[in-house]
Amino acid sequence: MAKTLRFRFSRGEGLKYIAHLDMLRLFERAIKRAQLPVAYTQGFNPRQKIVFGLPMSIGLTSDSEYADIELAEDMDPDAFVETMNKYLPDGIRVDKAVEHTAKDNIMNQITAARYEIIFETNRPMSHFEIDSHVHDFLGKEEIVVSKKTKKGMRPVNIRPLIYSLSAYKKDISVFVLEAFLSAGKENNLRADLLLEAFCHEFGIEARVISIHRKALYASTYNEWKNPFEVSHD
Amino acid sequence: MIAMRLKIDESILLNVEKPAKYTGNEWNMVKKDPDDVKVRFAFCFPDDYEIGMSHLGMKILYHIMNKREDTYCERAFAPWTDMEEKLRERNIPLYTLETYTPLSEFDFVGFTLQYEMSYTNILNMLDLGGIPIFANDRKKGMPFVIAGGPCAVNPEPLADFIDLFVIGEGEEVINEIIDEYIAWKDAGEERDGFLKRASRIEGVYVPSLYNVYYYEDGTIMDILPVSPDVPDTVRRRIVKNLDSVDFPDDIIVPYIGTVHDRIMLEVFRGCIRGCRFCQAGFIYRPVRERSHEKLSELAKSSVEKTGYEEISLVSLSTSDYSALPELCDNLIEFTEAEKVSLSLPSLRVDNFSLGLMEKVSKVRKSGLTFAPEAGTQRLRDVINKGITTEDLIASVKLAVAGGWTQVKLYFMIGLPTETIEDVEGIANLGITLIESCRELPGEYNKSLNITLSTSCFVPKPFTPFQWEPMDDIESLMNKQYHLKDRIKKRTRKIKYNYHDARLSFLEAVLARGDRKIGKVIYTAWQKGCKFDGWDEFFSFEKWMEAFSECGLDPKFYANRRRDYTEVLPWDHIDMGISKEFLKKESEKAYEGDLTKNCAVGCSLCGAQGYKTGICIKSKRG
Repeated sequence: MAKTLRFRFSRGEGLKYIAHLDMLRLFERAIKRAQLPVAYTQGFNPRQKIVFGLPMSIGLTSDSEYADIELAEDMDPDAFVETMNKYLPDGIRVDKAVEHTAKDNIMNQITAARYEIIFETNRPMSHFEIDSHVHDFLGKEEIVVSKKTKKGMRPVNIRPLIYSLSAYKKDISVFVLEAFLSAGKENNLRADLLLEAFCHEFGIEARVISIHRKALYASTYNEWKNPFEVSHD
Repeated sequence: MIAMRLKIDESILLNVEKPAKYTGNEWNMVKKDPDDVKVRFAFCFPDDYEIGMSHLGMKILYHIMNKREDTYCERAFAPWTDMEEKLRERNIPLYTLETYTPLSEFDFVGFTLQYEMSYTNILNMLDLGGIPIFANDRKKGMPFVIAGGPCAVNPEPLADFIDLFVIGEGEEVINEIIDEYIAWKDAGEERDGFLKRASRIEGVYVPSLYNVYYYEDGTIMDILPVSPDVPDTVRRRIVKNLDSVDFPDDIIVPYIGTVHDRIMLEVFRGCIRGCRFCQAGFIYRPVRERSHEKLSELAKSSVEKTGYEEISLVSLSTSDYSALPELCDNLIEFTEAEKVSLSLPSLRVDNFSLGLMEKVSKVRKSGLTFAPEAGTQRLRDVINKGITTEDLIASVKLAVAGGWTQVKLYFMIGLPTETIEDVEGIANLGITLIESCRELPGEYNKSLNITLSTSCFVPKPFTPFQWEPMDDIESLMNKQYHLKDRIKKRTRKIKYNYHDARLSFLEAVLARGDRKIGKVIYTAWQKGCKFDGWDEFFSFEKWMEAFSECGLDPKFYANRRRDYTEVLPWDHIDMGISKEFLKKESEKAYEGDLTKNCAVGCSLCGAQGYKTGICIKSKRG
């Protein structure tokens, strides 16, 4: 039994066209339908106390999104999972929940994300060619892109935000980038921005087929951890 | 027939704004196997998803049709221009959100006519859906195009495009139409056979079964049915007892924000007031209420089934609901416990309503809205708007003393008998309100900010002003500038907004148009007109070209005074309101004579013939 829970959910193809704020509302309404004993903020405009790990942009599918929810009374994590799934639309599934006692919430803990980006290029390339592009890309000291920040569009060096990158060929002009990127409140690098920078660098014209988030991580003592592992201090 | 599901992939959806408008699968979307039903109905809203999904009528009919096991009602909306471009580029027909089925594969394709400026979108949606635009080009096996809603009271401008119209409320008649369709299909008759059968259902108008004859001057001589078994007039359908028809509590919850993204509880239909300019005040008579017990139940079950965080009470004038205190007590208790917010639009401002708003207003006190509609008492009497300047001053003072410091006032310019004094009266009224709030004590006396908004009066069918000429565009614009100037010179505490007079002019043509206007709509659409209600798309020039190419003068429809004896294009539609009554109201308007509201006494408008609602409650005389 627990009062604050951390849960993990996935988002499939059917619901990938929903923007982040719409996702929040989707959860709030599902929680209301489920009549879960969620805690509300005080004040004129009470909001459910729920925090999401990392925003999901339009088009993104994911196997592992995380959120923390505060309840007004104790609840069994497994019962939470079962109830939520009854009231969430097809395409979003909660697969696990644990008690959360750590001081930091999920939004403050997320530091990295693993992506699989599938894209089609305007011209076929051999797997050597794409490999050497990845090699050259990672060999650069600086990769400056224009990134939307709190202060508007700014040039940002994204090279330090790329922890690893590899590519393989799927079809004559369809490629997959496996990317491990800095994520979270500070220094978030979106997968679509990475792809854009990559293609720009090598004069490739690409069309996104899918962007899939495979995992989110928290870091403690220079170690990548599953967010469930850091739900207790 | 095996149902085909279109595939709309990411190469389209990742390249349009708000792709979730085109993917469906929302919570409470009805899922059925199309092969299991006899009738497939595509309910089309001729505007953007965000507008259409806010429309209560669609939710009601979606729910009612889908309760039938033999019918599957699905939804389609006008795709935004970015999506339309993609669909046309790849030859993908417009499809329904439930099963991604092209519109052309349905038994019925239904449009709701909420405003005249959506007519070109109907043509565009038919075209995108692979359906011939003209009704007489539709062949065996093609859908029947059906339309209803407030603009169907004058169906003539759309007569060329629509196979059948529903006049009045759809909850009951839609079931009769579907039953008749199944019987027709089972009988294996020709396409015409169904239209003939449908024309005998009360409230159904089949335009192809009527001929219109004109005089040389363009006015109508007669509108006659093509054969004796077709009724001469089509009488509006109403639901006698609102508690007896289903009202949806399992409404679809969109993923993206819509204009009215909340539970809407329809408290009653109709309006007792009878303001002479207001079409809604006549075409929904008589007032029929839902019981407050039923409404409270609906509120609870709706929140349970949708998870919505807001409920709004919907009607033309919520303050006139006879059980408002009981309903509000119940709802306030429930919504507070459930952390649901309650909004109460269209309330008259008085002590009761302010107290109520104080109780329900969880958010900061923002604005209050008043609709005096005209700037002087004389003109307010002409339009039968029974409020006085004193009432308004009292209400605004109450509001300001209660902490509402933003006040919006709605007016119309171009009303019948209007003079320049009436126009200036709008500015004067604003100034009077600001000055009278100076008498209030302390912190509130200087805090009032006013927004004055003027729309252009558009004469509508089935109102006492249906014979009136609309004011010219130039005159309306001069009045707008004059008013703007006047306000600017007097005070900075008043903001002034006004509508595009050219858009209202066109609305006036379409509202009172005859069958000949169909050609103009078609021509305008061919020139690229669509989303005409949206400033960024409206092209007055293209519409004017369309009129001139069709050899029609829009002023004939908008700016001409009709004789009481002229046959009006909608004369074969019987709204249950007598022409004699409308004529009498029009004469009283010129005298500045007020007509009492239905709660005070009956004026024998004709709606008493429906023998229900307020008509069987109120006294005659």
